[in-house]
Formats: sequence, C-alpha cells, structure tokens
Amino acid sequence: MSHSDTVPLHPSSQSDIDEIENLIHASVQSAPATVLPARPPSPPRASIPVVSSSPFLQSNLPPPPPPSSNQKVPSVPEPPPPPSSSIAASGFGSAPNTLTEPVWDTVKRDLSRIVSNLKLVVFPNPYREDPGKALRDWDLWGPFFFIVFLGLALSWSASVKKSEVFAVAFALLAAGAVILTLNVLLLGGHIIFFQSLSLLGYCLFPLDVGALVCLLKDNVILKVIVVSVSLAWSSWAAYPFMSSAVNPRRKALALYPVFLMYVSVGFLIIAID
Amino acid sequence: MQIFPPNNGGERGKGYQTLGSPPEGFEQQPENGSKGVFSISSYTQYFNVDTDIVLNRLMSSLYPIGGDFFSKIDANPDLYGLIWISTTLVFMLAAFGNCATYLMEKHSDSTTSWSFDVSYINLAAGSVYGYAIVVPVAFYFLLQYLGSNASLVRFWCLWGYSLFVFVLASFLLLIPVEFLRWIVIILAGSASACFVALNLRSYIAENLSLMVVAAFFLQFALAIFIKVWFFP
Repeated sequence: MSHSDTVPLHPSSQSDIDEIENLIHASVQSAPATVLPARPPSPPRASIPVVSSSPFLQSNLPPPPPPSSNQKVPSVPEPPPPPSSSIAASGFGSAPNTLTEPVWDTVKRDLSRIVSNLKLVVFPNPYREDPGKALRDWDLWGPFFFIVFLGLALSWSASVKKSEVFAVAFALLAAGAVILTLNVLLLGGHIIFFQSLSLLGYCLFPLDVGALVCLLKDNVILKVIVVSVSLAWSSWAAYPFMSSAVNPRRKALALYPVFLMYVSVGFLIIAID
Repeated sequence: MQIFPPNNGGERGKGYQTLGSPPEGFEQQPENGSKGVFSISSYTQYFNVDTDIVLNRLMSSLYPIGGDFFSKIDANPDLYGLIWISTTLVFMLAAFGNCATYLMEKHSDSTTSWSFDVSYINLAAGSVYGYAIVVPVAFYFLLQYLGSNASLVRFWCLWGYSLFVFVLASFLLLIPVEFLRWIVIILAGSASACFVALNLRSYIAENLSLMVVAAFFLQFALAIFIKVWFFP
C-alpha cells in the first residue's frame, strides 16, 4: 500500500502508478476483511474497487473484466488471465500491487495454485483422508485447462469428425461434472458446488496423461493398459471426496456415476483413432 | 459423516444452503417443494433412496410377470433410477454399438478397420432420453384426460427401471451372430414390455386396455429400434 513495494517497470510508468493509487485511495472501501482460506500469506492484493461489499468478495467466480485501461505494463504474448486473484481475499483497501504487477506474476501465482491443488488431489499426501482440507483453495482454472486439453487430445487423435469429437468430449466432461455434483446434492450429501466441480476437474489429470500417451503411441493393447491405469488413478483420486460427502448407505449411489463418467471418457480415449 | 467445509473454511463461491428440510411428507402429487422450482431441496424427496433399495428395484425390474412394482415404489418413487439407468444405456449403446458394428463388418469383410462413429453418442442420447422422458409424460396426460388418477413421478420411475433390461442385453448383443442378436433383442424387448404393461395394468383402476397395449408396443418398438440402429 505504498510506493516502496511497487517497482515501476519503466520510468515513464511511475506517473501511471501514482494515478492508479490515487484512484484506489479515493474509492477505498472500509469493509473489514473476513476469513481467509488456508493459504500462506500472499502479497497484499489490490481489489478492483467495487461499490458494494457483497459476499462475492470471497469467491473465485468469473472475475470482472480486467481494468485493461489502467494497466500499462508491457503486454505478454500469452493471453493474460484476468486478475482473478486480485479480488482480495484479504479485504479491500490493501496495496494496489496486483493491478500493476507484471502479467507474468499473476500467471505464475495462478499456475502455482493449480500445481498445489493438483498435488493435493491427485497425488498421495497426508491430507487425503480429510476432504475438508483437501481443496480449500479451489479454483476453476485447473479444471478448465484439463478439460480443454482432454478435448483437444481426443480431437487430435480422431481422424474424422474432429470438431464433433471435441464438442462431445467437452460437453460430456463439463456437463458431467455439474451433474455429478447435483447428484450428490440431491442424494442429501454435503458439498460445496464449485469445490466439487473443481475437484472433479482436477481428478481428470491422470486421464489427460493417459490421453497424451495414447495420442503419441497408437497401439491398441498399450492404449487399453494405459487407460485402465489412468482410470484407476482418477477413481482413486475422486473416491475419498465423493464417498465422504454422502450418507454411507448411499455411497455407491454417489460413486457409480463418477465411475461411469470416467469409464466413458476412458472408452473414448481408447476408441478414437 | 463428515460435514465439510469445516466452519472456519469460509464459504467459497455460491455455496449452497444447508439441506435442513426433511422430505416433504407423503403428498399425493409432489410437483415442487414449497421452496420453489430452482432450489435443490425441493427435489431431494425424489432421491431419498439407499443403495439397497435401488438394487432391489433393479432386480424386480427383471421379473416381467410380477405386476407389483407400483406397490413397491408407492411410498418413495425415485428419479435416480431413471436418470442413471438411461445414462448408462446411452453409454452402452454408443460404445457397444460401435464395437458390434465393427465386429459384424469384420465378420463379413475381414479387411474393415476400426472406426469410431461419434454420432452414435448423439443418436443414443437423443433416442433414449427422449423416450424415457416423453413417453411417461404422454401417458400421464392421456390418463389424466381419461379420468384415471396418475402420478408422473411414478411413471418416470417405472419406465426408467424398465430400461435396465436393455443395459444387460447390450452386453449380449455384441456377439456377431445375426440370428442370436435377434433372439436376444426379442427376449429383452418382450421382458421389458411385459414389465411395463403388466404394472401399468395393475396400477390403472379403469379398464383401459388400449393404453396397456400401446405401452407394450412402444417398449417393443424401442427394442427393435435399438437392434436395427446400433447393432445391425
């Protein structure tokens, strides 16, 4: 919240930084910050000044459009993701750094969050049996990348009707995640909608790896083995979360659709050539 | 049962209101709960089943002569069976249909190579979901018009579970012998059609045999359609 930790990238951008800081100071909200999820303290983040202090503070829902007019940093070739992380989990009125930080920093922060979520969900770790801890810091970028990558991999390996294959795969995965979550909710389970979407998306990572291997090497036996292994891995990753969300007498009812979705995606990977 | 998130985790995203409301009692025709059409808790009453109950209903759908399905589901009709059996059937038809087509062509012409036709998925989804949703609605409205008392949810439940036979039959339909495939589908079709027709007859108070026969033939027509289109 001061000039000392804002490094001007270019001498002429100093005045822009001043301008931005003035704008933010002028409209700063005084709503106190509330709970912060279990994340190591990150650099104090700017909030895009909004008029009302609504509960949307906390969410990682589709972010507002980036204030591109304010950001004079040199643009990066890759499409800069909107600074979703700049919706302050630490409250309004903190340093406006993330508005002026290099896009690479924002991207790096999101990427590291994806990697840490991935490690929590898909790889063995001591928190596995406690789903409450498993994905406190959920995000939807990871699942988005995994679903699109899987669709692309399937589309590349198809020899005909490529776009239809992509459409089917994407629709199956995206709608499937939503429907699976609704299924658990309807069975009387206790989960948070977006956390579950996020988790089901992360559990697609092993199938992504399998699809990549199958894309590169086109042997049926190998495909069957690779897909079976990645299917087992995905199911193992999703199991504790899903089974603990519902009444134990309904566990199979909640798990079967997950299994069905992964089997159908696995079949698509094997069958598409 | 673990409830999460733990309270200090903070609500992320839209969250969802805690399911405080128990099932809404045994109303005759529960269309919506009192909480409105967009709230999850008004639909949980249709999913109030445990694993063993679902398995029980699945097994009883395989006995065409029973005629007592409606009394089994009367207190607690569920839509879980409808949704997931029809989804399983869509996947089976698309997957095994491709395999069976390949095997059949290989049988007659050993130079064919495997090709996956993704339009099978679209066709299977359209036909199975369309049938499973529209036919019970049509029967419901017809029976209401003719004065008989009908319950849409129970009809959906019945037709949903009646598709389970086709799920099992599609495993057998992989065998690339034409004669055997016809035998399998005729047996499965008749079993399923008898199941629907006999249960419908025991449910409707009036003597509406035309409806019963129509239900029988519709189910049989679905069986023939499955055979002809997916397992040629």
